[in-house]
Amino acid sequence: MTSPSARVSDSVEMVVPDADLRDGSMIRDFSHGTRLVGTRCIDCGGSALGERSVCSTCVSRNVQVIPLATTGKLYSFTVLHVGNGGESRPLGYVDLDDGVRVLSTLRAGSHALRPEVRVELASDGDEWWFAVMPAAVENER
Amino acid sequence: MIPFAKHRESSYVGLAVPPLVAALRDAGLAKSDIDAVYCGHSYGGMMTAQRICKEIGLGGIPTVNIDNACSGGASALHQAWEAIALGQIDVAVVIGVEKLTQFGGGTLPLSPEDREVKQGMVMPAVYAMRATRYLYETEATVEDLALVSVKARKHGALNPYAMMRTETTVEEVLASRAVADPLTLMMCCPTGDGAAVVVVMSERAKARLELEGIRVAASVLHSGQVAEGFRDMTKPEITYESAREAYAMAGIEAKDLDMIELHDAFSIAELVYYEALGLAEKGRAVDLLRDGETTFGGRVVVNPSGGLLAKGHPVGASGVAQVVEAFWQLTGQAGARQVDDAKWALTHVTGGGTAGLDHGACTVHIFEAV
Repeated sequence: MTSPSARVSDSVEMVVPDADLRDGSMIRDFSHGTRLVGTRCIDCGGSALGERSVCSTCVSRNVQVIPLATTGKLYSFTVLHVGNGGESRPLGYVDLDDGVRVLSTLRAGSHALRPEVRVELASDGDEWWFAVMPAAVENER
Repeated sequence: MIPFAKHRESSYVGLAVPPLVAALRDAGLAKSDIDAVYCGHSYGGMMTAQRICKEIGLGGIPTVNIDNACSGGASALHQAWEAIALGQIDVAVVIGVEKLTQFGGGTLPLSPEDREVKQGMVMPAVYAMRATRYLYETEATVEDLALVSVKARKHGALNPYAMMRTETTVEEVLASRAVADPLTLMMCCPTGDGAAVVVVMSERAKARLELEGIRVAASVLHSGQVAEGFRDMTKPEITYESAREAYAMAGIEAKDLDMIELHDAFSIAELVYYEALGLAEKGRAVDLLRDGETTFGGRVVVNPSGGLLAKGHPVGASGVAQVVEAFWQLTGQAGARQVDDAKWALTHVTGGGTAGLDHGACTVHIFEAV
């Protein structure tokens, strides 16, 4: 996402913008399947959702894109009845197993949504969501 | 700062984070050194400063978004300067950022609530009427208006941060597309995207951090004063008053300046502002221009960066970018466009088309090399 810099006078190094709108998709096909895109800082190990140019922990630019965990647990949720053309839509925060939090559309299937249930990433083309894991539901019973 | 251009692949965050990181690095600052953030922008939407700062984990401090149209970035600097001058804080980060490509071209969107905007007012029309009247009252000609653009592009050709980096001619400027008579396209600043960041600090913090820099000798922010009846459009009172106050604060006169970055959003503005900033008597601005007194080798270099006409004018970013130019010039880092032995610099931006006012805001800063 960063571009090469050029020197414009003896002491000034040109700074260029980050092309952060170039690829707006939050999921990408990695070698082991479709995953949410994340960034890990090589210097401090901090991780974050999305492709970043700089680490928000230590301000290092020494960062790399990583696939994020596909499973996690639901922290909280709502069913939204505004927007979306009037169609109601479950939306929640998922704490992924690698520690990153992501806001996601939810699909509960036949299960009731509630905090702390295990959820799993699913996708179809560009669309992605988290679904309640049936096994987790079984274990809860 | 980043080069001004049509950065279609960059968001407000993408535009501002790289110069923010670079500014902290150049100043050798840790996040914990920063007491406050002031961010000028007009079209970034809610919490633009916070969206930028969180990307580097900069938070837990006063962080303010400032819209003052084209004066937004310089207004942010003024607020930072004031907080430091009052002893409230020691170190502030000032961000100016704007992304005009989001509008897909055309004139700047103004408030639809304004009664003149409802009548079809746009910024080129404001300046075009100023130009019509100025040409009527003085010896200036449309060729002089074109000559302003020629000078701007000559300077811009030396500046790798400028959008327009080729020289032009009076004939080419006059032959370009009509925008608002007598202004042609090349007499209007190009719209683009940009971001610039400066760090402002107290003398105490500067000594503690053992940094070099330039001194803020004056920082003035004015709003416009309404006139319901007659207004002399060739004498924008907001700039006259702001400049007068700035010179008094800095203890210098116009003749002491080595360089100026002024608000040449449209070429007529440069002539009007020579007079408002005290470089020339009313109606005599063209003498300076024609005699080359405001280019390299002249009495005072006006817009060594190329100004808004060549560098581009991402509204909220421009006021801070002018200060970056002043910083580079006063610290001898301006490369091919270096003004020889520059000691005093003035930056000036006005902002906004608002019925009844010259402009909504005007900011003037004076800097001294140290």
